[in-house]
Amino acid sequence: MFKTMKITLLLLILSLGAKVTFAMHHQHNSSHDHNVKLTIDEPWVRSAPANAPMLGVFMQIHNHSDNDVKLLSADAKGYQSVELHRTMEHHGVMRMIKQDFMPIAANNQLNIKPGSWHIMLIGPDSVPSEGQSVTLMLNFDNGTSKTVHALVKKGVKMQHQHNKHMGHH
Amino acid sequence: MRKSTLSIAVVFIIAVIISVYQVNTQKNYSDLKKQLSVSHILHKTDKVLLDFSLLDHNRQIFDNDRLTDQWTVLTFIYTHCPDVCPTALMDMSAIKIALESKQSESVPQFVAITFDPKRDTPEVLKTYMTYFDKDFIGVSGEQKQIDQLIKPFGAYYERSIDVDGKTVIIPNGADLPKGVSNYSINHTAWLYLISPDGEIFAGFPTPHKPKAIAKDISLMMSQY
Repeated sequence: MFKTMKITLLLLILSLGAKVTFAMHHQHNSSHDHNVKLTIDEPWVRSAPANAPMLGVFMQIHNHSDNDVKLLSADAKGYQSVELHRTMEHHGVMRMIKQDFMPIAANNQLNIKPGSWHIMLIGPDSVPSEGQSVTLMLNFDNGTSKTVHALVKKGVKMQHQHNKHMGHH
Repeated sequence: MRKSTLSIAVVFIIAVIISVYQVNTQKNYSDLKKQLSVSHILHKTDKVLLDFSLLDHNRQIFDNDRLTDQWTVLTFIYTHCPDVCPTALMDMSAIKIALESKQSESVPQFVAITFDPKRDTPEVLKTYMTYFDKDFIGVSGEQKQIDQLIKPFGAYYERSIDVDGKTVIIPNGADLPKGVSNYSINHTAWLYLISPDGEIFAGFPTPHKPKAIAKDISLMMSQY
């Protein structure tokens, strides 16, 4: 009888231990997958004239995972549509090419910046003024979505000092 | 004998003076070119602007006369452009500020002519251009005239439309298919400097470096 209790207790302790270990492991994985692996820095919208039909949104997307990730789409309220574009130069001609996605390579970053990749806000209900912010939902191919608040500002040239401190975690 | 030697010498000296004068009037600006860091001298007799007559953003005539007796920084834009054109206009604004900070010099006028007069009316351009700088001048007008005007600049544009998910290019001069109202424009994005003679003098390729361009413009204005 005492022997049986001892075995039961041992089994109970073992199973509890396993559960705790499993839970910790599970929690660690989930936070890593959905929260930490993609980070977004300095989202901003270029301020534009009151009658501008298009606005450009820029940011840096960091992918801290070992898998390539694609930005599939972006949504924002108050615009007819939001598209992903890339400006490319070919023999001095600047071509704006609509993109099905933006690739963010594993353990790398994508600089969405003037003259290059940009998110295009088309047909604003009203053009936001400098100092306001535009809320965007970014949808990625790993099933995650991220909300960013992009500040409306003039800056043509980005300050990249901040990036120097951004290592890959 | 002495007389003939003297007359030969006089003729020779006159010939030298004439040739030096000709070299000076047909300046090739070789010394100036060496000092410029980001500019291409485009001053050539085959780059003469043909007669044109467009409308500025106050619906005043904008023709060749508006480009004479002063320096002009000029570019071509369209307001449905989300990236390249706002960048070019921001750069023009930075160039103007840099030139204005050198108080001793005259500051050129800054002009942007639309590739897209159908959508960019003078009224649209007025709101758009003065946002970047209150003194900027937007110019619209007949598409055919604009198509002619851009040629000596070496500027180029084409319209790009989406047909069932595929990109179709409509060259300038060609009509858009019926019912198509959404299009973007692929285009060159140089800035140009027009001399007070109303001729294309220099070009600044992309990406523009406003401070270096302002420095080059100062040199060109002082050595013209």
